[in-house]
Amino acid sequence: MNVLSCSINTLKGLYDISGVEVGQHFYWKIGSFQVHGQVLITSWAVIAILLGSATIAVRNPQTVPTGGQNFFEYVLEFIRDVSKTQIGEEYGPWVPFIGTMFLFIFVSNWSGALLPWKIIQLPHGELAAPTNDINTTVALALLTSVAYFYAGLSKKGLAYFGKYIQPTPILLPINILEDFTKPLSLSFRLFGNILADELVVVVLVSLVPLVVPIPVMFLGLFTSGIQALIFATLAAAYIGESMEGHH
Amino acid sequence: MANMIMASSKTLIPSSSYSSPFLPQKPRLQLPQISLPKFPKTQLKSLTNSTSLKSMTAIIAASLAAAPPSLAEVIEKAALFDFDLTLPIMMAEFLFLMFALDKVYYTPLGNFMDQRDAAIKEKLGSVKDTSAEVKQLEEQAAAVMRAARAEISAALNKMKKETTMEVEQKLAEERKKLEAELQEALASLEKQKEETIKSLDSQIAALSDEIVKKVLPI
Repeated sequence: MNVLSCSINTLKGLYDISGVEVGQHFYWKIGSFQVHGQVLITSWAVIAILLGSATIAVRNPQTVPTGGQNFFEYVLEFIRDVSKTQIGEEYGPWVPFIGTMFLFIFVSNWSGALLPWKIIQLPHGELAAPTNDINTTVALALLTSVAYFYAGLSKKGLAYFGKYIQPTPILLPINILEDFTKPLSLSFRLFGNILADELVVVVLVSLVPLVVPIPVMFLGLFTSGIQALIFATLAAAYIGESMEGHH
Repeated sequence: MANMIMASSKTLIPSSSYSSPFLPQKPRLQLPQISLPKFPKTQLKSLTNSTSLKSMTAIIAASLAAAPPSLAEVIEKAALFDFDLTLPIMMAEFLFLMFALDKVYYTPLGNFMDQRDAAIKEKLGSVKDTSAEVKQLEEQAAAVMRAARAEISAALNKMKKETTMEVEQKLAEERKKLEAELQEALASLEKQKEETIKSLDSQIAALSDEIVKKVLPI
C-alpha cells in the first residue's frame, strides 16, 4: 500500500509540474456563444507586439537605416521577396495579406515558446500560442481560401472557374476537392505542429526539468519559424496559382 | 475527433474496474486527460496473465478506477477541436491587424524604400553622365595641352634660330672688326719697324763713327 500511494503521489507530482492541459479552454460567454478567452488574450498580446514595434521602428524613417528600422526593412524585403516569387509581378496588393499572415503566425508561435505565459494563472485552461488553437488556424486557412478566390475572380471574372476543367474535365472532382483540402491541410499542419511542439517540450520538462529540453526548445523555435514561412508561402502560392493565366 | 477519444476512454474505465474491488478509493487524482486511452488496455490484458505482476496491474487499474465522476465531466469538455465564436473573432482580428499593419508598416515603409531606391538610381545615373562629361573635358584639356606644347616648342625653335643667327652675325662682325684691327695693328707695327730700322740706320752710322773715333785714336 505504501509503495502504491508513493508511486501515485509521484505521478501526481509530475503531472502537476508538467501541467499538460490540452483541450482545456478558458471559456468566455458572449451572448449565447462561447469563446476561448486564452486564445483571444494571447492574440491581443501578439497584435499589440506587432503594431507597437512596427510603429516605433517606422515612426521616423531615416535614409540610412539603423537598428529597428533596418530590421523592419529587412523583414519587409523578405515578405516582398516571398510574395514576388510566388505571385509574380502583380504581387504588390498582396504584400499586406502575405506579410500579416507570416508575421502573425511567426510572432504567435514564438510567443508561445518564449513568453512566460504560465506566470499568469487562469481559472481554467492556460495561456499558450494562439496558433495552438484550431479556431485560429482554421480562421487563417479560410481567409486564405477567400483570398485566392477573390484574387482569381477579380483578375479573370467568371472565367476563373474554367480552371476546374483544366487540363481535362475528368479532373473536375479532384479540382473541386482541392478547394477543400487546401484550407484543411493548411490549418491542420500549423495546428498540429505547434501543439505537438508545445506538448513535446512540456512532457520533456516534466521528465527532466534541466538542460535536456533545451535542444528540443530550440528545435521548437526552428519549427515554429518554418511553419510560419510555409503557411505564408503556400498562401502566396495559392493566390499566384489562381491569378496565373492558363491558355 | 475529440468525441472519439472520449468515447474510447469511457468504455475503458468500467472494463478495468473489475480487477480492483479490494483497493480503497484514492483521493481525487488529476490524470493527464489525453494519455488515458489505448495504452493501459493492451498492457492490462498481457499483464493479467502473469500473477507475479499483479500489483503493477493493480496500480494501473486503481489509477483508472479512481477517476471520479467529476473528472469525466472535465474530460467531456476537454475539446481539442472545439469550434465556436473564437473562429470569426480571430478572422476579424487578423483583418484588423492586416489593415493596421498596412497603415503603419507596409505602405509607409514600402513607399519610403521605393523612393530611396529611385533617388539612389537617379543619383547613380547622374554620376554616370558626369563621368562622360569629365572624360570629354579631360580630352579637351589634353588637346589644349598638346596645342600649347606644340606652340611653345615652335616658338622655342624659332627663338633659338633667331638667337643663333644673331649671335653668329655678331660674331662675324666682331671677327671682321678684330681682323681689321689686327691688320691695322700689323700695319702700324710694320711702319714702326721700318721707322725704327731707319732711325737705327742713322744711329748705326753715328755709332760706327764714334766707334771708329774711339778705336782709332788719331
